[in-house]
Amino acid sequence: MSDTITSVLSDAAEGVIDRRIFWDREIYELELERIFARTWIFLAHESQLPVSGSFVTTNIGSDNVIVVRGRDDVIRAFLNSCPHRGNRICHAETGRTRGGFVCNYHGWSFGLDGQLQGMHETDAYKAEPSFDFGEHGLVPVAQLDTYKGLVFGCLDPDAPGLGDYLGDFCWYLDVLLDNQDCGTEFIGGCIRSVIDCNWKIPAENFAGDALHAGWTHDSGARAMLDAPVPEWWGKESYQVNVNGHCWEFNLDLVGNASTFGDKRLNRWIRSREAEVEARLGRIRSRMLGAFSSVTVFPNMSFLPGQQSFRVWQPLGPNRVELKTWVLVNRALPDEIKEVYRKGAMMTFSPSGVFEMDDGENWEYSTRANEGVVTRRQKLHYGLGRDSRLDHPELPGNVYRNQVNDANQRAFYQRWAHLMAAETWAEVPKS
Amino acid sequence: MSRAVSLCAAGEIPVGGARRFVVEGHEPVAIFNLGGTLYATADKCSHQRASLSEGEVDGDEVICPLHFQVFHIPTGEAREGITRAPIATYAVCVDHGQIVVELP
Repeated sequence: MSDTITSVLSDAAEGVIDRRIFWDREIYELELERIFARTWIFLAHESQLPVSGSFVTTNIGSDNVIVVRGRDDVIRAFLNSCPHRGNRICHAETGRTRGGFVCNYHGWSFGLDGQLQGMHETDAYKAEPSFDFGEHGLVPVAQLDTYKGLVFGCLDPDAPGLGDYLGDFCWYLDVLLDNQDCGTEFIGGCIRSVIDCNWKIPAENFAGDALHAGWTHDSGARAMLDAPVPEWWGKESYQVNVNGHCWEFNLDLVGNASTFGDKRLNRWIRSREAEVEARLGRIRSRMLGAFSSVTVFPNMSFLPGQQSFRVWQPLGPNRVELKTWVLVNRALPDEIKEVYRKGAMMTFSPSGVFEMDDGENWEYSTRANEGVVTRRQKLHYGLGRDSRLDHPELPGNVYRNQVNDANQRAFYQRWAHLMAAETWAEVPKS
Repeated sequence: MSRAVSLCAAGEIPVGGARRFVVEGHEPVAIFNLGGTLYATADKCSHQRASLSEGEVDGDEVICPLHFQVFHIPTGEAREGITRAPIATYAVCVDHGQIVVELP
């Protein structure tokens, strides 16, 4: 297996990818250890945790965690498993608890700070001289931090902090998270679905696959908008990446937003352009709703302009649970929030036109690797190998033309670096 | 016939505070000071053995520290949680600087 990973490292630079990484269970198990249990994973938006006792449950790779706001307003996260017999503590996906969590099995109860409060027959434990209630609370997620409303957790106490992990990618994230003073929020609920594909296939699609949009989604676009997806080759557009976090975009301001076919939305985004330019500069103001897509390594993605925000949670080497929310500026008029909410359902949801297009491709891209001979054939990721450029404003690794495989190569290089490294000290910055 | 029992000096339970009192011949009593107004309830949770005076007070409700059952302090009503059984409430007043509770 280490041969596979070493070869991915050199292959990614060369522009080819070994198919075994989309199918082999051994590799998947190592991903759970070396990617998901070591990197910063999106857990929740602060707007999902408005008051003391508000909680969500979610996954960091294979580990289910509870994220909860305490009485002291601090957000904490814990493994969702009782330290007594291991039962799941919280079965709800989201909600509010007034005091904490009680295990169904023996009534072990834990406060919002994860501390053990008591259990059925508490007196039996109190009579036990060696039993220290302070030592048997819920196991905390090793690190927790936020970036402008997004709550991230990391199960590795030795991992670099969130600021280092995101690095210069924050400059780009501010297009989504800080284009107005009001901050952002999730509206509506979480849209959940399961796709039988390897988790990296959708993650790399959002990282840098502008190419598929005009082809895969052509019929959907014609049905929704009476027009094809425009071709962008030759116009000003980019792929950028930092530490495996990837953004592909052009500067058309409203390309993604236009796919909802609602003129109110385009007018709204255009009306904000000057204000955003004053705040973030010209380039970032033109990215606001542009034809673009983003993945924050490893499994958080979003679409600027459509405001579809999602995570790809692995359920095995060839299955993901997709969770989608709609992320908007808090101060957005209700009418425009509603346009986004409906637009998300029409485009990227289990019944959405574009999700259907993608899901089918991703499932077959995964399943084809079941073939033992097929699996030995490497895949082509070589587009745009000479497109690297130095840009006076754009930070990170910058490539001209969003129709490019540069981001996907960077995604897999980061993946291979992490998979090969015993410790974070061995992981190069990229 | 009810009896009046003197518990402590009024100043001993600050605003937002709560305290448990053991009274001979009666279940323990909890005194809560909500914004300067005193309330008396049974101290034992109606669900299982836990002391409500050790719970978090949130507005006019107390959250049991053991299984987080929520009670409305002024009426004893069980609001959120495992049980619907209320807790007893008692009349309480300050007489000559002492907190006095009327117990059945």
